[in-house]
Amino acid sequence: MTSTALPTVAPAPEAPPVVVDAPGRRRRRQSSGLRSDRPGVRLASWAALIVCGGFALLPVYWLLATSLTPRDQVFSYPPKLFPTEITFDAYISLTSNPQLFTYLQNSVIVSVITALLSVIVSAYMGYSFSKFRYRGRRQLMYFVLASQMFPQALLLVTLYSVFSAYGLLNTYTALVLSFTTFTLPLCVWMLKGFFDTIPDELIEAARVDGASRLRTIHSIVLPLAAPGLVAAGLFAFVRGWNDFIFALTLAGPDKQTLPPGLVNTYVGEAATAWPELMAASLVVSLPVAVAFMLLQRYLVSGMTAGAVKG
Amino acid sequence: MFAVLLVVPGMALMAVVVAYPLVSALVTAFFTQSLVLPGREFVGFQNIVDVLEDDFLRLLGQTLVFTLGTTIAPFVIGFALALALNTQIRGSKVFRGLMLIPWLVPGVVVSFLWMWIFNANYGVMNAILEPLGVSPQAWLAQPGTAMFAVIVAKTWQSFPWMMVMLLAGLQTVPRELHEAAEMDGAGTVRRFFSITVPQIGGIIGLVLLLEFIWNFQHFDIIYVLTGGGPAGSTETFATSVYETAFHGFDLGRAGALGLLWLVLLMALVVVYVRFSERSEKR
Repeated sequence: MTSTALPTVAPAPEAPPVVVDAPGRRRRRQSSGLRSDRPGVRLASWAALIVCGGFALLPVYWLLATSLTPRDQVFSYPPKLFPTEITFDAYISLTSNPQLFTYLQNSVIVSVITALLSVIVSAYMGYSFSKFRYRGRRQLMYFVLASQMFPQALLLVTLYSVFSAYGLLNTYTALVLSFTTFTLPLCVWMLKGFFDTIPDELIEAARVDGASRLRTIHSIVLPLAAPGLVAAGLFAFVRGWNDFIFALTLAGPDKQTLPPGLVNTYVGEAATAWPELMAASLVVSLPVAVAFMLLQRYLVSGMTAGAVKG
Repeated sequence: MFAVLLVVPGMALMAVVVAYPLVSALVTAFFTQSLVLPGREFVGFQNIVDVLEDDFLRLLGQTLVFTLGTTIAPFVIGFALALALNTQIRGSKVFRGLMLIPWLVPGVVVSFLWMWIFNANYGVMNAILEPLGVSPQAWLAQPGTAMFAVIVAKTWQSFPWMMVMLLAGLQTVPRELHEAAEMDGAGTVRRFFSITVPQIGGIIGLVLLLEFIWNFQHFDIIYVLTGGGPAGSTETFATSVYETAFHGFDLGRAGALGLLWLVLLMALVVVYVRFSERSEKR
């Protein structure tokens, strides 16, 4: 494989860290940590862990605690750090709001279709970048990579008019198309990494046996890259699930996904229903957490293999 | 030929969603155009001059404050955690997993959570700070504190990525270097500056640069937490372009602002490409 001097892949800004190490490149690094035998180092380490750990986890605790606090107890100052009474009322009251189910349904539909479409498009693209050499290839690769550097707020200024002109505003199509596009940089790179590890001989052998070029991709290459396809799909799902600005702008209440939906439902009124909002926040975060756990296998310590290559 | 056909679907998406909107947004910078009314009128550089004369400098300053704050603070926290976790304290794997939680939470949830924490009347931030002598604040409703609150929320979301990247970098530093230096009598601080920092200098530069580029165009958390307010004190290029286009309906002005924003952003991207090409060659 020729090595290009393209910038290394970095995770998309708003996305969980799923830069995947291709299977063949996986390696164990010998840990090189300092042994914590010096009391000074030990003390400093513990201090850092406690302070930063508190900053990371206390808000998470507060989210959970508020979601379990009865509504009348939330509106008291100073707030009770440990709720004296625990209730699931907030979670139950979520189910009585039909609009939330519409948002949930939209989120599921849009994210699933985004995942499927993204895998298909980026598999072909990644395969082309991995196994073929042609003029303009490097420029195309640069362009795909650079697309995540363009500010989305600016793209929306005219994307809105484009979708409006074709009657696509307030449709799943508009959301899926825009979400999919922004999954491409990461998914294409991830899959290219997987394809790079598949020996060219295998592909040539299939060709010699008379398989067409498409057939070779579908029955030889893609099955071998299945873990990569799953990882790319999960990443694309999360990207669609978490998006805020496109769903806010391109869709109205009946097609909007959960992130803008929750903002419209809870934010802006004088007295916000904090326990419900925290409960909803927890529920929205769950699929992402599950996807992350499934992805962890690919999120090997070498996630920076590219970046650190040095 | 076959190879080119394979990239057609992806490139079509890129063209429709990125390339065309980008170019035409920049073109609108030279027109007076409304989001809701048809027709437009060529005005040359008028929009750009207007933007430069009114609030370009204010927006640039606020965007830089936000971007610097949300790049440096997560870096410091992430680096401290990475160094601590790299000393092989027991249970560090579990701890590392827990530290990733803020990163996994969707951006709007980050905003909801900190909106509640910074709540003026019932917020836990006031309750924690009051015993320390800080009088209760309406954090998100005062120009003096809103930017600080927004930076804290974004920092909470960003530091785990910094931690993971820097920890991965630290793990590539050969232990022999530290052992040899220790034999020669170098202390912990000395080894940090003479071995650790130079060894992972490349990754430090990379994470700082990427984080800076991303935060320079960050939208979600600012928009949900403050909407750019109060009195425009947390407006950045991202929120201002969006507001100008979708609440002011003034596409020409939004395009002009976007054009200036993009020029700055592209300068950063050029630095990034140079940087990663250089470290690739090394």
